[in-house]
Amino acid sequence: MRAPTRDPRRPSGLLAVLVTTFVATSCAAVPELPPPVPQDVVPSVAPPTLSAAGSDQLSPDGFDAVQRMAVRIRNVGCASLSTGSGFAVDEHTLITNRHVVADSESLQVSTYDGRDLDVSAASTAALADLAVVRTEDPLPSFPQIADDDPEEGDDVTVVGYPAGGRLTVTAGRVIGTTRDPLHENLGEVLVTDAPVEPGSSGSAALDDDGDVIGVVYAKTTDGRSLLVPQSTLREMLDDTSAFTELTPC
Amino acid sequence: MVLAVLLVGALVAAGYLWRTTAAWEDHAAQWESEARGYAEEVAALQAELDGVTAELVAAREQLDTATARITDLADEKAQLGDENVASQQYLDYQRRVSEAAGVVATALGQCTAAQSQLIGYLEDRDAYDPADLDRFAADVEALCDEANDANAQLQQELAR
Repeated sequence: MRAPTRDPRRPSGLLAVLVTTFVATSCAAVPELPPPVPQDVVPSVAPPTLSAAGSDQLSPDGFDAVQRMAVRIRNVGCASLSTGSGFAVDEHTLITNRHVVADSESLQVSTYDGRDLDVSAASTAALADLAVVRTEDPLPSFPQIADDDPEEGDDVTVVGYPAGGRLTVTAGRVIGTTRDPLHENLGEVLVTDAPVEPGSSGSAALDDDGDVIGVVYAKTTDGRSLLVPQSTLREMLDDTSAFTELTPC
Repeated sequence: MVLAVLLVGALVAAGYLWRTTAAWEDHAAQWESEARGYAEEVAALQAELDGVTAELVAAREQLDTATARITDLADEKAQLGDENVASQQYLDYQRRVSEAAGVVATALGQCTAAQSQLIGYLEDRDAYDPADLDRFAADVEALCDEANDANAQLQQELAR
């Protein structure tokens, strides 16, 4: 009986396969050498701006655009004295109420910081409680007039000089519209719960974007404020014949 | 032979792994050093930021105070202007009343003088033409009516 012979090549082949497999898997598992540490890892980004929220509305003196556009109007009559508010719509034009400038011998306009501005002319609208006052000196700031009338529930900010006192900003909401109880304006007027006082007449009513949505002209007995809506203001401003020159008393 | 090959391979692998480990250790140390450097920088910048923020808060408070003061001063100036205008209107009114009072006094004086003159004429009625006396009496009456009207207007003005 002959003993089985061993194939000398068979173990070598198996070993080669094992070594190859070992080397292949080891090379895949062995970590590579680290890359060099970079000299500078600080990302190059634009430097941060220091503008805080709302700072674009600020002037160098710290007052915001809402305050800077408001003016105080002193109506020096032939035998009377009264005050009202107004606001700029361009560099030399103010909007206020007709009854603020009525029966005046002269009008005196002052700004948020107490500067007096010379008045060159004034005119009043017949179909709305609105008046336009032109100034010789430039006005500090003027807002945009909103494109649309506000909706019920919209926020409203009123800036003016209630009771002829210090510059005051009050806030409220639009309650709705109504026929003018004073019969001073054609069409509907806005009703808001923003507090106003005598002397607030002519104040600008602004929306959240700082655009004019109306002009304060009256206060109701239950403490609500009445506004000439921006649509009426636009109609009047677009119609050059809507205003007639104010004659001194 | 096979074992020798495996041994050599193992030695090579061990050497490579030792070198790699050392390199990664060095790498990690460099990163740590870098990180610590940046951490110190961050701490310094944070402290600087805190200081600047505090200054900004203080500056804003000062600005708020300043703007409130400017608003108050503007209001005070406006109130003084109102008072000035009201005083001027009152002075104008007083001046007009004084002038009117002077006119009334003059007119009343002329009235009484003319009436005295008329009384004198009437005491010697026969020496004058009756028609002239009537005319003079009518003139005196008109003069006194004007004086009375002026006086009534003055009283009305004073009563306002």
